Amino acid sequence: MATVDPAAKRRLFERLSSIREIVFGVQDGVLTTAGVLCGLSGAVSQHSQVALAALASTAAGALSMAAGAYLGARAETEVLRAELDLVRADAADKPYTVQEGLLDELCKEGLSREAGYRVVRLLSTSPKALESTAEAKMFGFSGPTFGKPALDGIVMGIAFLVGALVPLLPYMFITAQRYDLGGALAATALTLFGVGYFEGWLAHRSDRWRSGVRFLAIAMSAAAAGYLIGLAISPLGATAG
Amino acid sequence: MLKPGDPAPPFDLECALDGRTARLSLAKIPSELVLLFFYPRDFSFICPTEVTGFNKALKEFAAEETSIVGVSIDNVDSHLRWARELGGIGYPMLADPDGSLASAYGVFDENEKVALRATFILDRKRKIVFAASCPLNIGRSVSETLRIVRALRTGRLCPADWTPGVECGPTDRDF
Repeated sequence: MATVDPAAKRRLFERLSSIREIVFGVQDGVLTTAGVLCGLSGAVSQHSQVALAALASTAAGALSMAAGAYLGARAETEVLRAELDLVRADAADKPYTVQEGLLDELCKEGLSREAGYRVVRLLSTSPKALESTAEAKMFGFSGPTFGKPALDGIVMGIAFLVGALVPLLPYMFITAQRYDLGGALAATALTLFGVGYFEGWLAHRSDRWRSGVRFLAIAMSAAAAGYLIGLAISPLGATAG
Repeated sequence: MLKPGDPAPPFDLECALDGRTARLSLAKIPSELVLLFFYPRDFSFICPTEVTGFNKALKEFAAEETSIVGVSIDNVDSHLRWARELGGIGYPMLADPDGSLASAYGVFDENEKVALRATFILDRKRKIVFAASCPLNIGRSVSETLRIVRALRTGRLCPADWTPGVECGPTDRDF
């Protein structure tokens, strides 16, 4: 009989939980850098200056995103842990509230009251088992619920860097000025589609191309909306000037 | 919720008693006082402390000419299994599956569809002489209930925190 290796599955789930940072980081890195390249190409004539400015923007963006992800995950973990500590202290004083709460949850999931009672009673022979099961069932807390701030920050920073290099490298290495920006934008579109396709593959979807197109469409729509808003407010800048 | 002075609604319901199914009518309970306690559910983690607590104090209540009757919305089969789970219960556990008895006493929680944790003591005329309820998550005190039964049986005015042996006031003609 095939069995599941819980430790391996847990490691897999923990790795997969980084997908949010990877997708966010790559998407932001690709679009931000493509935007910087487009914007600067119109304003600065020197190809090398544009590349240098985009490189600086990439470094700053990667560090900022890494710091943001780290601080965000840290804040979330601290707040959730503090709340969970309160719940645990309360449960230590009144264990029957945890037992009754877990019993209610099990009954909601289809167990008879008597069967649920026996399960909770059995779990109650191990306070640790009761606590972890009750937290998962009653509050949706589990190990992977808490992010790993340092890891989240590193993954986000690297993902942004990787994403940013996609439009940046073609721009830097295609010397013909006619094609450098086009190459960068083509690489950007291809990468956005690839991220969506990759996410579909991870989710075991059969229509991965659809996932890729959706990702590309959403990301490009956001970029286009940003561009249009820029166009719309540009007369204000001229007026202010 | 009914209050002291109200006539106790009668009942004639199936119950679990001594590991068997039986029928119990309020009219056929011969004791001087009846302690009727409602609890939310069988197979829970707060109720058993009360159910077994009253069971442990059964002799002390009997010495005070008081019968104990437990009531919940569970059916008799559930009561039988629950009583067995608790090691046997020596007083009748009434089955009130539709909550009609709890409703008659005004202690049916419409949201939770269970009886409140309510206690009534009925006198020899089957009039309510004591009524109290606790939140669903707090068990009631068996010893306090016994103290009240003892105080009621003095037939006199009892001061705060009265316990047997402490001087009572004059006779309470209403009792």
